[in-house]
Amino acid sequence: MDWILLQDVVNGLSAGLCYALLAIGFTLIFGVLSAVNFAHGEVYMLGAFAGLMIALALSPPLIVVVLVVGAIGALLGVGLERIAFRPLRRSRDEAALKSRALREATLLSSLAVGIVVRELAEIAFGGDMQPIPDRLMINDPIPWGEIVFARGDFIIFGAACVMLIALQIFLHRTRVGLGIRAVSNDLIGALYSGVDADRVIVWTFAVGSSFGAMAGLLVGLYYGTIFPYMGFAPTLKAFVAMLMGGLTNIPGAVACAILIGLAESLSVEVLSSRWVGIVPYVLLLVALLFFPNGLFGRRVDRA
Amino acid sequence: MRRRLPLGVLIVVFAVLPAVLTALGQGYLFRLAELTMIFVILATSLNLLTGTAGLVSLGHAAFYAIGAYTAGIVSLRFHTGLEVSLPASALVTGLIALIVAIPAVRLVRIFFTVATLSVGEIINVVITNWDGLTRGPMGLRGIPPARVFGFDLGGRLGTFYVIATVCSAATWIVWRLTHSYYGGALRALREDDQSAGAMGIDVGRLKVGACAVSGALAGVAGCLLAHSTGFISPDMFGIDESILILTMVVVGGLGSVPGAVLGAAVLILVPEIGREAGHFRMVFVGLVLYLAILLRPTGVLQEAVSLRFARETKAVATGDQRSPALR
Repeated sequence: MDWILLQDVVNGLSAGLCYALLAIGFTLIFGVLSAVNFAHGEVYMLGAFAGLMIALALSPPLIVVVLVVGAIGALLGVGLERIAFRPLRRSRDEAALKSRALREATLLSSLAVGIVVRELAEIAFGGDMQPIPDRLMINDPIPWGEIVFARGDFIIFGAACVMLIALQIFLHRTRVGLGIRAVSNDLIGALYSGVDADRVIVWTFAVGSSFGAMAGLLVGLYYGTIFPYMGFAPTLKAFVAMLMGGLTNIPGAVACAILIGLAESLSVEVLSSRWVGIVPYVLLLVALLFFPNGLFGRRVDRA
Repeated sequence: MRRRLPLGVLIVVFAVLPAVLTALGQGYLFRLAELTMIFVILATSLNLLTGTAGLVSLGHAAFYAIGAYTAGIVSLRFHTGLEVSLPASALVTGLIALIVAIPAVRLVRIFFTVATLSVGEIINVVITNWDGLTRGPMGLRGIPPARVFGFDLGGRLGTFYVIATVCSAATWIVWRLTHSYYGGALRALREDDQSAGAMGIDVGRLKVGACAVSGALAGVAGCLLAHSTGFISPDMFGIDESILILTMVVVGGLGSVPGAVLGAAVLILVPEIGREAGHFRMVFVGLVLYLAILLRPTGVLQEAVSLRFARETKAVATGDQRSPALR
């Protein structure tokens, strides 16, 4: 047993948990709308920027920053839904709500909103990584035998666990959560039972984006990488996780996100670091072609 | 009147435009006209795939890159002219598009889109890291200008005419394909591939064919880029270029060939007006894409316009066998 390998496992786990936080938002939104939110990565990026600015200006304890960023993320999600998704949902017709045309239109509109936001962020902050003072970073090492943990590993692990448990309580113990599960399961059935679909969709965006923004901040402070393009690669990995998990299966998506994180960090041992970037894309193609229903997904209708 | 339009366009492209540009005497304007025509090829070829066949692709720039690199590598290693590198680009890119398409067309809708996105990224990573073949992030330098069978066409006018000829030919090919039985079959499977399949259309083969043709034409565009700029590097073919090409198609009108031409012209030329504010280029692309989807989802010159025009000009096979007097 190699200590380096164990170290890779630790790194992979914490990276995977970050992807999991993003994947949750993706999976929630896909479950409710059957639409891909291509602007999710920009929420992640804005969350990191907002958190960094708050931390620099006021230096409150980390937990406060994370919670404030969560709230900002929720607002961003609601705004995004208003701008990129609601205007295209012109018809109240049930079939139109999950139609193919709507799905492709929202894919492109969220992509467009994402580009505009990212490019404006690049104009405002510059394309380079933001300087982060050491006191804000959460990667101070905690040696344990031969392996070295970072403080961020524990913070991210703890935050992810808290968020996942909170999400399960939200989905299974509240009325809105019931609505989200109902719409996700069967939109038309939910509408006939009197569920306010618009409200459910707004809530879904708020919860999903809030998780995304908090993930962005934690990842940014852990790796010290806060820059306008930071959202692109993690978004794609979160998408892969959603797909491998079976599209609407949140625990499945989390498990697959961790798997992707592990695959990435273990592949460093085999591939040169320049080629590691290819791993998530290859995983995506493999998942799409060989597991179209996800690793543990039940059979779903053709999307 | 309408039958004279294609002739008019050809006269403008081959006589008026070069004359005006030569009179103005600015190399920059020539460069801009060439770039516009290269993107016309890219937009019309993507339109065949995304507009007519309904397969939204976010990886078109990767095929553009393969074409450019094929042309660059072939002409640098073997010192051959355009007569070799143009077919080589089309063939290599078409083959790779075919290989990618065979598994990918099983995917439907957004899954196809995300698959093309990741294929594009994989191709970009390979080009960036395969130092031995592509010289990696440094890019290929000193690609010779266009030369056909030993005739040097590298001058300002020569390059312009080469690109204009290939661009017209490519647009004509896509136009004929779009407004033929083949195009009709693609439209049928776009609307509902299951019912198209039930009516005897070989859905899989048609989709793979559309991918291959579209990829090969993108490769041709890449070849022209390589010979006209002389320098190519991986960052010229990123995801932003794919989004740019897709935006051209959406703005012009999905399925509409004149729309794709218009979209390419608008999205290349308009940002150049404010080129001091170069940073705002992608902001402009994003805003245009957003507004187009919101306000005019069928595009400026929607497919119906293109179809009506095709029917009225009768220059193409729409199945109308009536005598000219009855039309």
